[in-house]
Amino acid sequence: MQVGQTLVNETANGSLLFGIATSMWRLVLGLAVAIVGGLVLGIFMAKIETANQTIGSLILGLQSIPSVAWVPLALLWFGPTDAGVIFVTVAGALFAVTINTHSGIKNIPPTYIAAGRNMGASGMKLVTNIIIPAAFPYLISGFKQGWAYAWRGVIAAEIIFSIAGLGFLLNLGKHDNNIAQVTGILIVIMMIGILVDGFVFKKIEKKVMSRWGLA
Amino acid sequence: MTKLQAKNIVKHYDHNGNSVLALDGITMNVEEGDFVCIVGPSGCGKSTFLNIVAGLEKPDSGEILLNGKPISATGPDRTMVFQEGALFPWLKVIDNVEFGLKMAGIPKEERREISQRYLDMMQLTKFTDSYTYQLSTGMKQRVAIARALAMDPEILLMDEPFAALDSQTRDLLLVELQLIWERTKKTIIFVTHNISESVILGNRVMIFKNRPSKIKKEVIIDYKRPRLAEDTNLQKYYHEILEELKSEVMTGIRGESK
Ligand SMILES: Nc1ncnc2c1ncn2[C@@H]1O[C@H](COP(=O)(O)OP(=O)(O)OP(=O)(O)O)[C@@H](O)[C@H]1O
Ligand SMILES: [Mg+2]
Repeated sequence: MQVGQTLVNETANGSLLFGIATSMWRLVLGLAVAIVGGLVLGIFMAKIETANQTIGSLILGLQSIPSVAWVPLALLWFGPTDAGVIFVTVAGALFAVTINTHSGIKNIPPTYIAAGRNMGASGMKLVTNIIIPAAFPYLISGFKQGWAYAWRGVIAAEIIFSIAGLGFLLNLGKHDNNIAQVTGILIVIMMIGILVDGFVFKKIEKKVMSRWGLA
Repeated sequence: MTKLQAKNIVKHYDHNGNSVLALDGITMNVEEGDFVCIVGPSGCGKSTFLNIVAGLEKPDSGEILLNGKPISATGPDRTMVFQEGALFPWLKVIDNVEFGLKMAGIPKEERREISQRYLDMMQLTKFTDSYTYQLSTGMKQRVAIARALAMDPEILLMDEPFAALDSQTRDLLLVELQLIWERTKKTIIFVTHNISESVILGNRVMIFKNRPSKIKKEVIIDYKRPRLAEDTNLQKYYHEILEELKSEVMTGIRGESK
């Protein structure tokens, strides 16, 4: 009851919506950077076998670092700023996207590539018209993992940096000894997770699977 | 006019440190509008040869000339119909057929017109907007043929395109392909391990020897078209080729069990 009341109040004075918006734009920006970077890195790794040998194990190691472990480094480099939060988000998500991109490309049937080249696709055309769509079922699971890490990263960084966003509101609740606020924000964080998973990723996944006849 | 010349093509592969000589000097001339079939035992290098003609692989030595000019890479003038599984599952049938045209930068309206024509020819109009998993194997191969024809290549390369089909579908497509060839006057190189297929389709049948492969014999098939699978007059060609291949298959099996 109190939780509901707190959420209503915070919605009324705008602080909740502002918190959601702040966390979301950091998430979206960080995830976008991680996705683009991960695609480039993954394609690079797949293209150059030697790069794969040396960078491969390094990236596997980097991927095992929990998002929150990047926070001290972010603080040292960027201070408690937006850039710091986004750094944590990107660092948390980048390597999951990279690894999935790489294995997705490795698993493309060679005939698709041969057929593409045979019909005049080379260079960037081959990447955008064959490699990315052919690896897409893998890419999407990379994006999904990336989003999960990114979301954890955003909230963790906001709690520790204590600058705006949902993480900050959690911190504030703790500071004021306000259990209702803390619980309420947790519920909001969970709801956003469910919505993004259910609406964004499930939708894309379902569409891809049905096109490929895998559903 | 000589459309394509293969000059002394040599190609080897490395198998865990062992060198395997696949092609040991293949030389052939293909005239414009010719229909050449290649038969040979499994693993003798038929696909390798076709891939080299397509520019997908490079020979160790020798060269391929198209209209007298050496080729160095893949080109839309030589399109391949792969054995199977080369349609793109992320595209609709129509977009598969238009893929090469799109890569060539042909505007959408023109692409639609061309793809409709070939989908029509292949009797696939009803499946324009289907995805590939919704098609039978025979329909998929027809899409693959439409896709290759849509690019209006100078040479159509076909690597056992009917191998995965049931015999009724294959017999139908064997007739269809002859009609298309007569209508479009395409130059075709068709690889198969099925002797009757080669006899029905080819003006000339090139018999490849076992690895390291050379051309063992060329059989000319001068017989009216469209040829049907059940035509008994084709028997003598069939047996001529069979005799040549039998000994190859035997030495091949002995070689592999060593
Ligand atoms: N990419 C490759 N790497 C290594 N060896 C290869 C490769 N491609 C083909 N070979 C070898 O080259 C030889 C010829 O292969 P190829 O696929 O051309 O035979 P084929 O005549 O098409 O056989 P099939 O009728 O079974 O399709 C085989 O010994 C094969 O093992
Ligand atoms: Mg083959």
